[in-house]
Amino acid sequence: MSGLEIVKIIVDSEKEAGNILVQAEARALEIRKQLDDIVLREREEKLSTAKREATSTVQKAEMQGKSEALQYEKESEIRIKVLIQNASAKKNSAVKALSDMILI
Amino acid sequence: MNQMSETRKFTEDILATANAKSQTIITKAENERQQLLDEARKNINREAAEITRNAEADAEGVKRREISEVRHRVKLREELEKDKVLTDVLNETKKKVHEIVNDKNKYSAYLVRLVTDSIRQLGMQSVRVHLSAEDLKNIDITALVREVTSAVKTPTKIEVAKDPVTTSGGVVVSSPDDKIRIVNTFEQRFEALEPKLLIEAGRLLFRDYS
Repeated sequence: MSGLEIVKIIVDSEKEAGNILVQAEARALEIRKQLDDIVLREREEKLSTAKREATSTVQKAEMQGKSEALQYEKESEIRIKVLIQNASAKKNSAVKALSDMILI
Repeated sequence: MNQMSETRKFTEDILATANAKSQTIITKAENERQQLLDEARKNINREAAEITRNAEADAEGVKRREISEVRHRVKLREELEKDKVLTDVLNETKKKVHEIVNDKNKYSAYLVRLVTDSIRQLGMQSVRVHLSAEDLKNIDITALVREVTSAVKTPTKIEVAKDPVTTSGGVVVSSPDDKIRIVNTFEQRFEALEPKLLIEAGRLLFRDYS
């Protein structure tokens, strides 16, 4: 093997080594680029799930509130009815007591 | 031969070094990506947690608002119903008080008490008593003056004014010059006592429900 052949072999392998490094840099760049896509996708998925759950939580609370309010209103109707019935039953004695206050 | 083998070894070393460097570059990139991904995930989780926290607060507010609105509505309705009963009782009381005018004995005794109290409040030895036109017509004035004089227990000159006052009942007692007046007509007594009457009516009618 001549000296020239040896130099050529070495130069070729240096070239190949250079290619390997270039490819590695390209792969590294690709890996870094993938990050943005992954983050964007995961963020979208996670936040959209969170928003969906949030809407459902608020809707559930609204329904629960309406239902509790309706129950409270029903109970109050009965309570007010009883209150007025009892007060009406005491009307005559109250009128007597108030008249006495005016008539000394 | 030896020269060739040395050359091969040399080139193999060059390629091995390049491969090792390549692996380092890729591993470094992967590690960096993982580190950034972990950081990004933490931020995403924080954002999601914030959305959940806000939703829970909103939900609590929505629920509270629904209940608070109905509570307010019920409270207003209750007050309205109570008000109706109270107004009714006050109106009935007015009617009942006015009915005393029809019972001559009771009303005369009431007027004696009223005039006596008014004279005591006035604290004068000479007074004028003003009655309604109806009372001037129907009440035995002489008896009234006699009974009041006896009830007052201090010598008092009582003059009954001939001009009537406009009232459905009760009396106005004044100094002889009419400058100082104790007004004890039904209308005035109602007006003066109304706050007390309302409190008392509320107590009597709704004390079990306050």
